[in-house]
Amino acid sequence: MKRRNFIRQSGLLTAGFLLHQQMLQAYGSADAAKTISIGIIGCGDRGNGLGSVLNSMPEQFQLKAVCDVLAFRLDQAKKLDKKNNLRYEKDYRKILDDKTIDAVIIATPLHNHYEIAAAAINAGKHVYLEKTMTYDAEQSLALVKLTQQYPKQILQVGHQYRYTPLYFKVKEMIDKGYLGKVTQIDCRWDRNWNWRRPVPQGYTDKQVNWRMYKEYSGGLPAELLSHQVDFINWAFNTHPDEILGTGGIDYYKDGRETFDNVQAILRYNKEGMIGNFGATCGNEKDGYLFKLKGTKGTIQLLMNDGVFFPEKQTKKELETVDGVTGATKIEWNKEGGIPILKEKSKDGSWYALKEFYKSVTENSKPVSNVITGATTAFCVHLMNQSIYKHSIETWKPEYNLDK
Amino acid sequence: MLLVIFSAHRSVEWKRFAISGAAQGTTYSIIYYAEDSTVTKSLIDSELMSLDSSLSLYKPYSRINQFNNSIKGITLDKHLLQVVKKSIDTYKATNGLFDITVQPLVHAWGFGVTKSRYVPDAVAIKNILPCVSTKLLQLKGNRLSKSKPCVKIDLNGIAQGYSVDILAALLEKYGVKNYIVELGGEIRVKGRKQPSGEKMKIGIESPNEDAFENHLLQKIIELDKGAITTSGSYRKYYESKGQKITHLINPKTGYPQKNELISVTVYAKDAITADAYDNALMLMGLKQALAFVERRKDLAAYFVYKNANGSIADTASSAFLKLMNP
Repeated sequence: MKRRNFIRQSGLLTAGFLLHQQMLQAYGSADAAKTISIGIIGCGDRGNGLGSVLNSMPEQFQLKAVCDVLAFRLDQAKKLDKKNNLRYEKDYRKILDDKTIDAVIIATPLHNHYEIAAAAINAGKHVYLEKTMTYDAEQSLALVKLTQQYPKQILQVGHQYRYTPLYFKVKEMIDKGYLGKVTQIDCRWDRNWNWRRPVPQGYTDKQVNWRMYKEYSGGLPAELLSHQVDFINWAFNTHPDEILGTGGIDYYKDGRETFDNVQAILRYNKEGMIGNFGATCGNEKDGYLFKLKGTKGTIQLLMNDGVFFPEKQTKKELETVDGVTGATKIEWNKEGGIPILKEKSKDGSWYALKEFYKSVTENSKPVSNVITGATTAFCVHLMNQSIYKHSIETWKPEYNLDK
Repeated sequence: MLLVIFSAHRSVEWKRFAISGAAQGTTYSIIYYAEDSTVTKSLIDSELMSLDSSLSLYKPYSRINQFNNSIKGITLDKHLLQVVKKSIDTYKATNGLFDITVQPLVHAWGFGVTKSRYVPDAVAIKNILPCVSTKLLQLKGNRLSKSKPCVKIDLNGIAQGYSVDILAALLEKYGVKNYIVELGGEIRVKGRKQPSGEKMKIGIESPNEDAFENHLLQKIIELDKGAITTSGSYRKYYESKGQKITHLINPKTGYPQKNELISVTVYAKDAITADAYDNALMLMGLKQALAFVERRKDLAAYFVYKNANGSIADTASSAFLKLMNP
């Protein structure tokens, strides 16, 4: 149907735009009295990516040092060295010992997250820790305990979608009941390639393709699906109670240990919801897929783009008028959906680092903090337990953390 | 006898036809009730094309641009002639608040064909003002002349309304008697939904300053004839140094107008009239605008405004109240 249809409740749909503006303004007005000097530990794709976002925010951050155990990674990080004043370190402790550095970004392989984050907190640094927060549940519990002893230090976890206007808006829509009762969530993060990086001469496969090895990585659930798992935890203020997973090395039998094809069903008892989380390296048709299905409508999300599709009955209710006079109107797309935001969002990391700056300068708790990071890490832990052991895992009482 | 009963029951096979598309930087939607699809999308689109080549500042070849680029003036085509005539009438009726020669100001404030967020300084505005006044236009027959080469016109405050009327006339020409035409939120209605016989329901969008309030749809009115248009300050604006710069520029002062009005919705017999007056009413401010509308038998208006305490309120002229509560 066409945009002549009018949405009684459509405040939220045009509101998205306003929200975005308001957020930008709120961020923009932050007093730039202090720039945070920061170091990056782990200069792979993610670390370097965050580095270039930092470089785009000179009023908030000054990148002082980069660290990686692999020389070629440090070499790649040179492109971040705009002013030719970066320190390059192989040992992260040297960055932690530097009293002029206020904060660190940790973007290392997963198995190092806990050790380095704990050391950074103990060294008095604020920490932006990439997802997934830790390798396993035990480490998450330990990190929660540790950070409680350092209330003045910020630990933010890199589930950056929590900060984008789009995902923020979607949470609003859920809270306000625009979707009705959500019963099903479909998530995919697919690709059609082996998910490997080329190994430069002189390096081992384990060093570069650590994601292929169980001792370093949580595989597809930790590296990809954790974002969507985290969003559901946040949006519904919940966690799964029961997890049933499966998977295998089904296509790339190239010596990898982590699975190239996984599926997990997460049951949320309190909400009465089922979440289907899957990823394969053997098909890219869906790519990134994220659908929330409620009795009143569906939200379909891409990373920077989202559309609301009302159900038949909802649509009927929306069509009570024949025309609307106004300066702007609701615009329906060709598939009968309504774009959630009128403008595309910036990259999620930009919003997340703005929030990190705000949290550090105002000593406020980030939305993606050690507790929420732990909750999602527990989910990933249970997903992997279930996938590898072919078991049904249940939420443990010790995972219920005080917020 | 039998035949008479049959013929009385031989009802029209009503069908609902919907046409929609993009035009004039916005979208349009036409719904009509008829036996057959006599009016097609291609017919509508070619009419809109011809309107564009006459009235659109966005088409370099348009007749309006020919006038603006001319030194002394040009001969108008039928569309431009109609709209300029109505514009001059409205200029007089609004004591100069509706003024199509506002183009250089609109451009300077960044709301013209090329958008900018650069706020012009006082000197720039002072230099532009001598080029702004409908008194600098002379219409003789179908020739429009200008007293100074710098005089340029912008019909954006009236062309959409006119276009809606032209589309309505096109429907009528093809025998359609029950329709609603909407272009960019400007609406013209005739007849009723068939076979139900219900009037057309028109929603008046409410500017929602609080992003999370749901009540976007402030009012619904039912119409079986006439036109309704809305002008608002709440969407088209940018911010500069903490100031909201709205697209509603007072042609007399050269500056964007600030008052309590958030939006004005005008009802009139045709869309060109409603559209011509909505911006002028915005500039008048609530008290003056309400008095103005009450004096005019051919206008009705609904106002959304901000109270002194910051809350949003609405009011309407007595004729508009009758439309809302028939």
